[in-house]
Amino acid sequence: MTRGNGPPGLAKPGWDVIVTLDPRGTEKKGGFMNHRSWLKAFALVAVLSIVAAACSNDTGGNNTGNGGVDCATVEFGCVEVGADEAINLGAAQVISGADSTLGQDQVNAINLALDYLDGTFDQKNGTLLDHPVKLTVEDELCSAEGGQTAGTALAADSSIVAVIGTSCSSAALGVADKLLGDKGILLISGSNTSPALTDPKLHNPFYARTAHNDRIQGAIVAEFALDAGQLGAKTAATIADESPYTQGLVGAFEANFEAGGGTLTGSEQVNSEDTDFKPVLRSLAEQKPDVLYFPIFVAACTLIIKQAAEIMPDTTLIVSDGCLSSDTLKNAGKAADGVWASSPDLSAFQTDEFYSGEFIPAYKAAFGSDPLSVFHAHAYDATNVVFDAIKKVAIKNDDGSLSIPRQELRDAVFATSGYKGVTGTITCLPTGDCATDVKIGLFLAPGWPVEGGKGDTSAKYTDTKSLDDVL
Amino acid sequence: MARTRWIRMGAAAGVVMVFLALVGLIGGFTDVNLIGDQITFAGLMLVLPAFAAGLVAAAPRVEGGERYEMRLSEAMIAAAVAGAAAGVTFALAVVLADWIGAERIRTVFLNVTPQLMEFVNFGQATAPGALLIVAISTLAGVIGGTLRAAPPPVRRPVTSAVIVTLMFGFLQRVIPIALDQLKLERDWLYSSQFDGLTWIGAVVVGVVTAGISGLNARFGERLRGGLAQAGGRSGPTFSPVRLATGAIALGLLLVAPLLLGSVISEVLGTVMVFALLGVGLNIVVGYAGLLDLGYVFFFALGAYSLALLTGATLNAYGIPPEPAISGHLNFYVAIPIVMVIAAAAGVLVGAPVLRLRGDYLALVTLGLGEMVTVLVGSPWFVPLVGGPSGMRGITDAAIGGLAFRDPQRFYYLALAFVGLAAFISWRLATSRIGRAWTAMREDEQTADAMGISTTRFKLLAFAIGGSIGSLGGALFAVKIGSLTPASFQVLVSIQVLGLVILGGMGSIPGVIVGALVLVGLPGLLREFEEYRFLAYGAAVVAVMVLRPQGLVPNVRRSRELQDEERAQDEWAKAVEEGETPPEIATTGAAT
Amino acid sequence: MAGTEAPRVEAVRLSRFEQLPWRRIILVILGIVVIGVVAVGATRTLTLAKADGGYSAGAWRDFVVQGAAQGAIFAMIALGYSLVYGILRMINFAHGEVFMAGAFGSFFFADAYEKSGFLDRDPILALAIITAVAVGISVGTAVLLERLAYRPLRNAPRLVPLITAIGASLFLQNTFRGFFGPQPYGYPKPVVLAGNITVLGVPVQRIQLLVLVVAVICMTVLQWFVSTTTTGRSMRAVAQDREIASLMGINVDRVIVITFAIGGVLAGIAGVLYSLTFEQVQFTMGFRPGIAAFTSAVLGGIGSIGGAALGGFVIGLLQAVGPPLILTGFGIPSVFSLRDAFVFLVLVLVLVFRPGGLLGTGEAEKV
Repeated sequence: MTRGNGPPGLAKPGWDVIVTLDPRGTEKKGGFMNHRSWLKAFALVAVLSIVAAACSNDTGGNNTGNGGVDCATVEFGCVEVGADEAINLGAAQVISGADSTLGQDQVNAINLALDYLDGTFDQKNGTLLDHPVKLTVEDELCSAEGGQTAGTALAADSSIVAVIGTSCSSAALGVADKLLGDKGILLISGSNTSPALTDPKLHNPFYARTAHNDRIQGAIVAEFALDAGQLGAKTAATIADESPYTQGLVGAFEANFEAGGGTLTGSEQVNSEDTDFKPVLRSLAEQKPDVLYFPIFVAACTLIIKQAAEIMPDTTLIVSDGCLSSDTLKNAGKAADGVWASSPDLSAFQTDEFYSGEFIPAYKAAFGSDPLSVFHAHAYDATNVVFDAIKKVAIKNDDGSLSIPRQELRDAVFATSGYKGVTGTITCLPTGDCATDVKIGLFLAPGWPVEGGKGDTSAKYTDTKSLDDVL
Repeated sequence: MARTRWIRMGAAAGVVMVFLALVGLIGGFTDVNLIGDQITFAGLMLVLPAFAAGLVAAAPRVEGGERYEMRLSEAMIAAAVAGAAAGVTFALAVVLADWIGAERIRTVFLNVTPQLMEFVNFGQATAPGALLIVAISTLAGVIGGTLRAAPPPVRRPVTSAVIVTLMFGFLQRVIPIALDQLKLERDWLYSSQFDGLTWIGAVVVGVVTAGISGLNARFGERLRGGLAQAGGRSGPTFSPVRLATGAIALGLLLVAPLLLGSVISEVLGTVMVFALLGVGLNIVVGYAGLLDLGYVFFFALGAYSLALLTGATLNAYGIPPEPAISGHLNFYVAIPIVMVIAAAAGVLVGAPVLRLRGDYLALVTLGLGEMVTVLVGSPWFVPLVGGPSGMRGITDAAIGGLAFRDPQRFYYLALAFVGLAAFISWRLATSRIGRAWTAMREDEQTADAMGISTTRFKLLAFAIGGSIGSLGGALFAVKIGSLTPASFQVLVSIQVLGLVILGGMGSIPGVIVGALVLVGLPGLLREFEEYRFLAYGAAVVAVMVLRPQGLVPNVRRSRELQDEERAQDEWAKAVEEGETPPEIATTGAAT
Repeated sequence: MAGTEAPRVEAVRLSRFEQLPWRRIILVILGIVVIGVVAVGATRTLTLAKADGGYSAGAWRDFVVQGAAQGAIFAMIALGYSLVYGILRMINFAHGEVFMAGAFGSFFFADAYEKSGFLDRDPILALAIITAVAVGISVGTAVLLERLAYRPLRNAPRLVPLITAIGASLFLQNTFRGFFGPQPYGYPKPVVLAGNITVLGVPVQRIQLLVLVVAVICMTVLQWFVSTTTTGRSMRAVAQDREIASLMGINVDRVIVITFAIGGVLAGIAGVLYSLTFEQVQFTMGFRPGIAAFTSAVLGGIGSIGGAALGGFVIGLLQAVGPPLILTGFGIPSVFSLRDAFVFLVLVLVLVFRPGGLLGTGEAEKV
């Protein structure tokens, strides 16, 4: 029985028409497949599923180890490397898609670290504790899903000793760091900068990074803006995009700017795929900020630089390493002149004998170009920190095999102190930040340290801070 | 003239070859080995268009109302012409590129690299290279044509053998893992040096497949007939053969994670989540005929509601980790609440817009999906859902001590939910509600006149479909343990729609097949990640143009069409023979 | 239909409760709420002191100009959607990619001309050639789409071509990505188009003025074409009833191809204007303008030229003026982050009250 309009003419105001259809006309084909058997079949499937789930155990997980006494009882066990097996180092980097330069660059640097195990860059890998080292790379697609896939793949392989990664913070945050941490596999990143990853409340004990914490970068940019001898800004506005990286930087900048006495006149968020930023900029221009900080990525960043030149010509523009690329200079043209960009300042080490004399030529020889992003150096350092830790904790068994206890490896990495890496001195904090004394530089376009940068490409302002100095 | 047709086909294939080269599908894969290290993916891409041209050129023609099969010799000539035309077209393009200079072209088309040029010239200079292209294309065309013109007892086994062997080649990262898990020898099948099938392995796979296919051809009919008689029933819906296939498929689904390891199980887990979304969207699009382009609305609603109800925390630095609204319920208590919220949202959101005509509805639902995407990432909602950095700490759906975040365990959890949703969906389809939906879908005005309140049933479809979608979202949240707005883009809606269509609208096994193909394959074939959506778009267009009923069509719908066609044929025949035409019995709306 | 009797039909008295015109009541309440929200938001914004985030008259003027310029581009692209819909009753989702193809294709010419100086030596000729290239590529893409993806589906149920269009859109986007890479390319702007010009005391960017002028000219020409020329009349005939038009001797296939081609012409011109405005092309550049244009067409009343034009300008203005005017008053942080959501909400509301769009008949068409 259903209500409805029914045949016209029958419905009068205040009356409804009910059309009753003959229930006997219903079909019932396939008698034995009636609803009760389906219910039984479904229940059976459900029960089987639960049983299967309970009984399933994945490959990997704790192995009992047959080296030293520790391995059988210690939490997370040990990685057993047979006498003629290679030590398996994992990498979770973004190697496809628009951000692939970031990940590929780091993979290249890791390979250079493998090369340097024998003390020279000869494009032949050295050995670690008489074992060769092999690299297993998984693509983390710069997203949470990619981080999960890469993390699952690496966590499933019980021969992986540690993982250098991820490239993007979103792949690590709560995803790869947890997947690997649950198996006791150390994850150390050369380019994650999101503050959330090392927040004491959120930090995973098996996560560390040699890249800087964006709280420091945001604070130094704020300091630069406020400094009377530099920009001397009293007011600032910010534009973020929909990525966690930007959110972290903008948050740090805003907090430190206001704490330093500045006034935040506007804070907007845009979508990185938009093209028309004129209304946003006009809206922010109303309050006439001295500085506009927009640490977003190349495509949107270039457009804002161009549009801001017309709408807020008197506001100083500051971007970050997400925009620091030759594409920006090329596409923004003259409008880019006078735009500041913040980035880790490796200049002190770029004159360092090892870095400029051996590392960079080796990179060029092996991969045909200069390094593509600044984080290659951090990845190189991360790899070496792991190698040092392996050297410290690996148990050499009589038969030539190695047992590497996972918990101790992690502890050894976190105990790293005063290690002299390419990026600076590395001292790991309990919350995972290993880049202490981070040096951030501000570069003035067109003198950016990228291809196509003109004139003096050194930092016009640098400062070194550690986490204790910033909010 | 037939000959111009062959040449045109060949030229089109040649254009496709140029396209493949320019888009990077050849140059980027010269070292992806399929069989031995001679047959690479790039090589396959290079010869496939010519092969296809030969195949189509040798196809039976329909001329003057008659179906005209080609003789073998004629087919080979046709195919040769087509193949040659393809080769000539492509060779001309290559010669042109060599003459202009690959470096100059590269400033525009990035994939015209020296490696590519070397590959398509087969390592030769321009002239011999061009001749080789023509020769190889002609040969590929002839092979295609011969295959097409071969009698079915030859053609079917060979085609199956080739397809299955190539599939084995593609799945070179998946099948070896499965074999390892099963503790079977795999070095004879997959080379450990260069990642592809060995020649021995390829031959074995090919022969076995051909054998199975041949056996099926000879004895399959008899077997099916025998089974049908033994079962005593007929009719496509519940035939014993379908049952057997279904049972085997179900068995495989149950057993797969145990055989295939964590990595593949993780991909299968995602497949199951999307299958669940597909079942939900199937109700909206397949049963009720409402084009919903914003299904991500329910997906996001389910994921974030579950996260908030089970006590997830916010990720962003500098804000308190506790969301503005937060509950600490158990997963199994939260799930029904999530579904009710989604159903209510579906009704609320659907009520004003379901009276719109189909195309407008599409746009409005797209807009709703976009709105949700914007809101969950916006600064306004940060205190609730954490903005771009998202949320973390989502429950692992533990019962007692049994947690479900492990890839295999999660897969079974998802499978159970898919089973539940499929069951609900199946029961709905054969219920009165389902019949009302069918009526609405086929002719809305008549259904309305028959007394079916279209608005009410549309809302019901939206609500039920939406709540199943929210279930998918909740499971997704559990799977990853962490949520970011980046996972909730309009592309999700499009993907789910794609898998519903590919599988066959209105068909649940179709949805699962669709999910396996559109979500599972890309997940397993990671090296093709960059071309995923290119293939996806091409597949959708191809399926819609060539086989709109999908891969596993809804049997009832097919039967409806067949019955109607049969009735019309009988009527036409009766008229022709001058007899009184029978009453046309239509299967139709509400009976 | 074995064993059925005729359905029983009876009349039943409705209770008072059920007699109320629920739909109208809800619509009225909704209308009041919407007007209330808009009024409250707007007044609060306009009464905000400058220091608290209020906007000056100059800001509103600039928002309007920016919105109108964006709207002009949307209107031109929306015309393509409307024309195709009028004739085929089908949304060509891939039209955004037709737009992108023209813009992207013309980039290489524009870039070459800039490098050689031709662009600034003789901007009119250079731009003419660039536009011709863009139009050619757009028209080619549109016609190919019609021939390969839509013609086989001419008589399919309406879901099928819609889904095909989505697939085609993805395919075209990724083809361009494969050909030219995922990165953005900087599009040159001739010096003569840089800078501002004052029109009636309002400072407008030269390129914005060009966009507005060209858009108005194109729409006027199109209107003339459709109402006066034979082809235009054939288009209207096919739009009205395809079968009868074919019986009257109109070559329906040809008319459909011409429709797609005209849409392509407009998209190509819009592509060049867009690229000159933003000085950037990227393979994703068609997606959002495509959706905005589609929204415009529906908002204005799809199938009508005036509707597309009106819709385009309305959407353009909405997305520039709407968030600052209404949302700022409620203290919502970062009003522009909600821009897209705002536009869609307005669309939904318009369709609730006027299901045929602004210039539609006001009745929900049921087909």
